[in-house]
Amino acid sequence: MNVISPSFCLGKAGRLFLILSLVSILAFTLVSLSPIDPVTAYIGIDRMQISVEQEQRIIERWGLEKPAPERFFIWLGNAVRGDLGQSMIFNEPVTTVIGKRFVTSLWLMASAWLLSGGLGFVLGVVAGTNRGSLTDRIIRIYSYTLASTPSFWMGLVLLAVFSVSLGLTPICCATPPGVSPDDATLWQRLHHLILPAATLSLIGVAQIALHTREKTIDAMNSEYALFAFAQGESRTGVAWRHAVRNVALPAVTLQFASLGELFGGSVLAEQVFSYPGLGKATVEAGIRGDVPLLLGITLFSAVFVFAGNLIADILYGVLDPRIRIGTEEAK
Amino acid sequence: MRVFKTIPAGRLALALAVGLMLLCTMAVSPVLAKDTLTLAIQGEPEDGYDPTLGWGRYGSPLFQSTLLRRDENLNIVKDLATRYALSQDGLTWTVTIREDARFSDGTPLTAEDVAYTFNTAAKVGGKVDLMKMDRAEATGKYEIEFRLTSRDSTFVNRFISLGIVPKAAHGQDYARKPVGSGPYMMVEWNEGQQMIAQANPHYYGDKPFFKRLVFLFTDEDTSFAAARAGKVDVVVVPQALAVQTIPGMKLHPVRSVDNRGLMFPTVPDKGEKTADGLPIGNNVTTDPAIRKAINVAIDRKLLVAGVLEGFGRPAYGPCDGLPWDNPANVIADADTESARKILADGGWKDSDGDGIVEKDGLKAEFTIIYPATRSIRQYLALACADMLKNIGINALVEGKRSWDEIRQLKHSRVVVFGWGSHDPIEVYHLYSSHQAGEGYNNAGFYTNPKVDEYLDAALAADSYEASLEFWKKAQWDGKTGFNARGDAPWAWLVNLDHTYFIDEHLDVGVSQVEPHGHGWPITANIQKWTWKD
Repeated sequence: MNVISPSFCLGKAGRLFLILSLVSILAFTLVSLSPIDPVTAYIGIDRMQISVEQEQRIIERWGLEKPAPERFFIWLGNAVRGDLGQSMIFNEPVTTVIGKRFVTSLWLMASAWLLSGGLGFVLGVVAGTNRGSLTDRIIRIYSYTLASTPSFWMGLVLLAVFSVSLGLTPICCATPPGVSPDDATLWQRLHHLILPAATLSLIGVAQIALHTREKTIDAMNSEYALFAFAQGESRTGVAWRHAVRNVALPAVTLQFASLGELFGGSVLAEQVFSYPGLGKATVEAGIRGDVPLLLGITLFSAVFVFAGNLIADILYGVLDPRIRIGTEEAK
Repeated sequence: MRVFKTIPAGRLALALAVGLMLLCTMAVSPVLAKDTLTLAIQGEPEDGYDPTLGWGRYGSPLFQSTLLRRDENLNIVKDLATRYALSQDGLTWTVTIREDARFSDGTPLTAEDVAYTFNTAAKVGGKVDLMKMDRAEATGKYEIEFRLTSRDSTFVNRFISLGIVPKAAHGQDYARKPVGSGPYMMVEWNEGQQMIAQANPHYYGDKPFFKRLVFLFTDEDTSFAAARAGKVDVVVVPQALAVQTIPGMKLHPVRSVDNRGLMFPTVPDKGEKTADGLPIGNNVTTDPAIRKAINVAIDRKLLVAGVLEGFGRPAYGPCDGLPWDNPANVIADADTESARKILADGGWKDSDGDGIVEKDGLKAEFTIIYPATRSIRQYLALACADMLKNIGINALVEGKRSWDEIRQLKHSRVVVFGWGSHDPIEVYHLYSSHQAGEGYNNAGFYTNPKVDEYLDAALAADSYEASLEFWKKAQWDGKTGFNARGDAPWAWLVNLDHTYFIDEHLDVGVSQVEPHGHGWPITANIQKWTWKD
């Protein structure tokens, strides 16, 4: 089990460092070039009650009077020490905001991730085994349609049908109105999770299903499958006893590598369902020009996606001995 | 059958009873709605509930109380203060506060807390403008002195809008866990979702009827859907949705000074630029004849009916119906005949027969800009352009992507702006030539020495009451002023009605004329709300 060797760790750490540096420089540059003036966004309709002198005071509170490069280096210096600064709009440390919001998002993302992964895999294998059949066609049409459906639209449709018309699911939020998250029962939380998680997973299913289908078809046409057929094994038998093991690996990799899309999807889904997670905070930070928070979330999402890919890499080695042995032999 | 026999009858009955009780507790929750009120009125203060950063400047700070208040007729009444007076030189306010006020943690509220609140708000750099205050000082246990750096009759509005925080309990996390002497105290705030408040047992005033308030911070569509599903008791909706009906709820439109108007550059374009390089002036709108004709030609009632679905009223000034509004601002509009005459008298004639008037070779043509995402502003601009075509003025309409784009053009184009506040300082910022071109203040570079004189006199007045007359005179003194009879640097169009749906059983009393703001103003009299079966 020598997957995680020192050189592997060093390489990955270096790559993470490089990614984070580039991401923060790029994000900072983009945000500085953004046409949104955070002070204007903050003052908003109070414009006429606030004197020019007071505006200057707000600018100073946020340190915006300094030139952009200087602000970047101040931010960077603090960031290295683990201080991502104070969110302008939430008036709280960025790390606290991200922490609180991420816990809420985690519920949503985790359930959507498990659902879409499991369902997508099963659908993909079923479609691939029965290539060309009616089942295959239905699954394919479903996947193609869903793959091109924007998640906010999907969310609105589900909301209109299940919450407004049928009244089965809640309209919004992570807990019922008047109930604080600490007092909410597990059932209440799950009840509020159903629609946003369904939105995310219904769409996430498509990619996994299509990918798995292709791999299953390859596996069903492979020599070992042919050998199994020759021994009198049925199609289903070959698929579940032989092909699945070979198909599972790319599916798992894809699933972990899709964390970025999951993150992006949750931004839209959270917006639709007023689900107070990290996605909603991202939108607010963007709209109101909250630079520290936006940078913090960008860095966090970079780490998040990186972690997904890293896990996929490691799992590959753990699950498939050939890769591990291959690397060792190459040395 | 054997299973049933093994369970003793008594135990079965008990199980049934427990089951029934469980069902009952589930059924009780709608009845509880009578002392719990759920509101979806938007405007979550991301800054938190810290008055020193600006919380509570609209409506009621809820958790904190203020020295003074405005009642439903916008008269200034006492709250924490029992006496308040301004010195002869207009530079020192002396305020005495009541002795029975306590914060929700049980500690008494003293002059020290008031002085601390004002001094802190002055330096932290939030949305509270105390630039005119030198310092606040407790001169007794219940007496505070406020020293101003210059005379400012609008300073009294800080007494109305700034909630008092406890010196001992105010710190970094105060904004999330406020402690105050207001009618309610916070139970919990989950950012982006909801805020729960309950009645403050230490409140010195009348006990509010509703023991618990739940504010939902969902976006417009979600709030509306929640109201349709019967989940909220009060919901704010855009005017366009107010024509709908929600079962079990009634429409509650509230008049406001949330206004929209056309701002005109009042100086010619001579290629001048501001310090940050923004172009100044417009050769067409610099002519008062153009601006007056537009004011007279526009049919404001039609705008209210057509654009606001009837939920609004015509606007003739920036402060319609407020104590400092001059009734003389109201003009006879929708009068194309008079408008044409004003243009003709001003030398504007259509000599080339293209339907647009000219003067000295200059066509009566300009662009109206607005933020493209604001549909009401867009419709207003389009409707005005249509109305102006009738009198030979060609107004082009252009939506801009952001306020930043508008910022670049605000001194040289006609802009659809919206303001409206319970503080007359707004009038000063909109029209004083001392403010011309500073930020968004007086963006059209309007100058009239007489108006400046009145505005300065209003600021320097001996009291708020004495200042009212000067504010009115700045609008129109019988000869000159900034209203449509005078120099007309603006064409005010409409005041929106803020539209709420409220539960049929809910009585919210008389709502104030609301300022430009998000939902919170309706909570100004929330202590007086009751539930009627």
